Amino acid sequence: MSHDSHHAPVADKMELAPERSDLGLFRPDRTRGFFDWLTTVDHKKIGIMYGAFAMLFFLVGGVEALAIRTQLARPDNDFVTARMYNQLFTMHGTTMIFLGVMPLSAAFFNFLVPLQIGARDVAFPRLNAFSLWTFVAGAMVLNGSWLFEFAHLAGWFDNFAWHKALVYTDFVPANGWFSYAPLSGTFGQANAALQAPRFTGVGTDFWIIGIQILGIASLAASFNFICTIVNMRAKGMTMMRLPVFTWMALVTSILIILAFPAITVALIELMFDRQFGANFFNPSAGGQPVLWQHLFWIFGHPEVYILVLPAMGIISEILPTFSGKALFGYPIIVFSGAVIGFLGFAVWSHHMFTTGLGPIPTAAFALLTMAIAVPTGVKIFNWLGTIWGGRIRFTPPMVLALGFIWMFMCGGFSGVMHSAAPADAQQQDSYFVIAHFHYVLLGGVLLGLMAGLYFWFPKIFGRMPNAGIAYLATGMVILGFNLAFGPMHYLGLAGQPRRTHTYHAGNGWETWNYVATIGAFILGLGVFLAFVNLVYTAFKGVKCASDPWNGRTLEWSLPSPVPEYNFARSPIIATRDAFFEHKHGVHKLAYENDGGEAGVHMPSQSWFPLLAGTGFLIIGFGMPMMAMGMPHAGWMVVSGLGVMFLGIWLWALEGPGGYMLKTPDDPHGAAAQAKAAASAY
Amino acid sequence: MFSRLFQRVALFVAPFCLFLLSGCSKEELTVRQSTLDPKGPVAQMQYDVFMDTVWLVVVLFVLVGGLLVYAVIKFRARPGDENKPAIVEEGHGNPLIEIGLITASIGALVFIAIPTLSAIWYTHDVPDEAVPTSKLSAWYPRVGADGKENYPKSVEEEVLIVDVIGKQWWFRFEYPQLGLTSDAKHTVPNELVIPRGKAVRINLRSEDVIHSFWIPKIAGKVDLMPGRKNIMWIQADQVGHYYGQCAEFCGDSHAYMLFRVEVVEPAAFDAWVKAQKAPAPEPTPGSKAAKGKEIFAAKTCAMCHNVGGQFGAGMFGPDLTHVASRKSLAGAWLDNRDPVAQRALEKKEQNTEASVAVDPAILKANLIKWIGSSGTSHGADGKLSKDVKPGNRMHYYAMFNVVGLNISKQQFTAEELDYLAEYLLTLK
Repeated sequence: MSHDSHHAPVADKMELAPERSDLGLFRPDRTRGFFDWLTTVDHKKIGIMYGAFAMLFFLVGGVEALAIRTQLARPDNDFVTARMYNQLFTMHGTTMIFLGVMPLSAAFFNFLVPLQIGARDVAFPRLNAFSLWTFVAGAMVLNGSWLFEFAHLAGWFDNFAWHKALVYTDFVPANGWFSYAPLSGTFGQANAALQAPRFTGVGTDFWIIGIQILGIASLAASFNFICTIVNMRAKGMTMMRLPVFTWMALVTSILIILAFPAITVALIELMFDRQFGANFFNPSAGGQPVLWQHLFWIFGHPEVYILVLPAMGIISEILPTFSGKALFGYPIIVFSGAVIGFLGFAVWSHHMFTTGLGPIPTAAFALLTMAIAVPTGVKIFNWLGTIWGGRIRFTPPMVLALGFIWMFMCGGFSGVMHSAAPADAQQQDSYFVIAHFHYVLLGGVLLGLMAGLYFWFPKIFGRMPNAGIAYLATGMVILGFNLAFGPMHYLGLAGQPRRTHTYHAGNGWETWNYVATIGAFILGLGVFLAFVNLVYTAFKGVKCASDPWNGRTLEWSLPSPVPEYNFARSPIIATRDAFFEHKHGVHKLAYENDGGEAGVHMPSQSWFPLLAGTGFLIIGFGMPMMAMGMPHAGWMVVSGLGVMFLGIWLWALEGPGGYMLKTPDDPHGAAAQAKAAASAY
Repeated sequence: MFSRLFQRVALFVAPFCLFLLSGCSKEELTVRQSTLDPKGPVAQMQYDVFMDTVWLVVVLFVLVGGLLVYAVIKFRARPGDENKPAIVEEGHGNPLIEIGLITASIGALVFIAIPTLSAIWYTHDVPDEAVPTSKLSAWYPRVGADGKENYPKSVEEEVLIVDVIGKQWWFRFEYPQLGLTSDAKHTVPNELVIPRGKAVRINLRSEDVIHSFWIPKIAGKVDLMPGRKNIMWIQADQVGHYYGQCAEFCGDSHAYMLFRVEVVEPAAFDAWVKAQKAPAPEPTPGSKAAKGKEIFAAKTCAMCHNVGGQFGAGMFGPDLTHVASRKSLAGAWLDNRDPVAQRALEKKEQNTEASVAVDPAILKANLIKWIGSSGTSHGADGKLSKDVKPGNRMHYYAMFNVVGLNISKQQFTAEELDYLAEYLLTLK
């Protein structure tokens, strides 16, 4: 065993002797480049990969959105067929929510949470890699459906018996991101082979298994973040000293853990309906379609807060930094975040005001929905209180953050309008709703996430994005966004329903649909420009100092890019905004006397999270292919399960690993300071 | 730097706002499916609640937005700030301000909560105060001029009831009190007719997936849930032709699932009901229409479509007894009126509820287009075809695309289509 040599401190992990477990497996610690990224367990690299995939899928979802807007630019347009349009809006919604916003939030969680709490990694580094690769598998399954659709449209499947036997040949999900049963499910009675007739084809099966896999990724990541935040905080980092972003990461993770089981159950029931003739949602066999809606929205509404709370956390970091002033009402901002998360589980039926709930539930959910406006309003008031009396420096992240407050406020206002259930009877499923949630999710979440990208990019890559291009992109995004979604308030009130692939001239919707399409293209160009700026910066940008914004939280005390071990010495925290206090106040940061000559203990890299994730990829493609009737696809599912279990089994047996990495001798200018502080603590 | 940026943004935004305001003409607020032009008490109540929320939101927007703009301008960093000491204090907030703002927020919400609650109950079902004037005996003679019963005595205290049945992708209307039902082989597809100024109770049912019944100028939507009995009530206070649409995504041709509502004077309602029950006239022997009738039978149209007095087997498709009298076709997607004349009339009357009569030439062209192109977007050839209504179930021997069932598509020659259209044109 070379175990000892692996635990002698080295300055560079390429110096490590290869370590072998009892099974003879190597931990791939000495890898470089591509294989290093595939096997990494470093939360920063995983965060960067999450971010890169999220930006890629933002672009995919954006192209889908532009195709939708192109179709709607003119009445009676035939840019795409009805079915293609339905597939586009389904995949646009699903992609943006599950493959755009959630992984981009996860990217921030991954990169920032350990740094903000003074930790060297997340609690379970391999589980973190598993979350990433499982997310990638789910994303590929969902988008892989496009490949089948194109192959079908090109006629490549025409000569196959299984294809000829298909009744429904839609390969891309076309049920909307909500997939309401029974349209997504079955009708009539199941035959002897336990197959009941369906309204849609295998697109729905791609959607079911894809979302299921993404749910596993989200759940694993959330357990990891909760364990990390609760257990891995540095000395003195009490809960009420946590940066607000980390607080929101904690609340979001708890929301995911409580919300995703509902959709998991619903998806399994729907899968059983479709594959095995169960009758959960089949009305002609006594099933309840409205049950799907309850299960979906008790997940779906908290999901909205899962999307928006991280952005709120980002804003709560950026505003104090550029106002030069502590966050106003820290406890109440944290508390209102938690209240929003809690109330988020009590308002789901406001998505169902028109389903005939009856007056009493409608009234209850209307009042609860109004109630959720209070903690949201509290946040806006406190952000206003934060910049009040400050010295506001205008930088790209700050301008985006101020834009966030404006646009999110507008989205909140139309949300309050929806809470009035009788008014909502006119607005439900109209363009007014599209306007509302795009103000929340694009004006709110996307601007918030873009603000976060521009804010932390210098920390992540040690390079500063070009401010001029950033302002231009920001201007285009805000202008294009308002031009695209402002008129949709009017269109909804003028009676244009959502999810309709075309409309007749003569209804008075022509002008504003055209304007909205122009706005959408300006918006798309703006987002593209912003992303190009960021990607260029990551590789070729101007190098910058480690603390370019006069930051307040611990991550700014580290060099940029952050070294593998994060903190050469673990910090000891005595106050909120610890690094700002360290620079300008009386409470200086102290450091524990760890690391040093013995080095920092680093977790070993591993192939097995990737292997387990690959198992999900095989299952994910196998299930819909089985539903298509492709021969032997069932064996594909079985082998996918095998690969997944093999990955987890070898993961368990590859040995504890770990190696020691030397840190600079005196990283914080004073070993003595650490000694003094340790005695003072 | 900032002020220059601000000026540029202002220069850009101001004309845009003017542009937006210029769009708010009366014409834009009263378009065909406008929710801002209520023509009945339900839509009016929903509009009133909506306007309450609008006023609240406008006040809040001006207050909070104004403060935000003020703060951003007032507290912007100025040259020399970098030499001042940093503001180092923990942000505890101010409890009085926080509690005050929370209380004010709750107060503002109460302002919309009260009208919301009263409107929820008002819009749920026919209110008691509407019953005395709307019950059948109050406006509809129980025994007509011809001496026949218009409706049984047992229902004279009830308001008019309409069953709305949703299907992919059209609506079927039935009037159970008046004998217009599936059982009696008299149903009304896609064009609902109701008396002016009378409350009507609507029973909502679906035969396949979820649909939603929405006539923006008369009432907000309620869903048609399969396996569930939803209700709503409507009332229109102005005679005219109204536009409605399915508002819940229901599959391929959801966008084509429209319907119309014809509001008539109560006195004219009786004549309409009687006309619905009248059988279709027999086409002249030897005419094109007579040949069309033969094709109608031979090509199995009659398996799904009912034609009063002629074909009584099919109830799966829309009832065609009076197809030529309807202003629209194919789930109200194809309009049988002259669009130029219609738009001119709307402009002249300043009212989208005004309607010109059916144009027989357009009706015939629509019939040929509709029957000739229909099929499915995923037909036996597996290829997409450009249908008037992709995914529709016309031309199938089978009622449903049941897995494993051999499905084939009907084909028509141009001549056959012409005969069929001529036949359908006689069904007034």
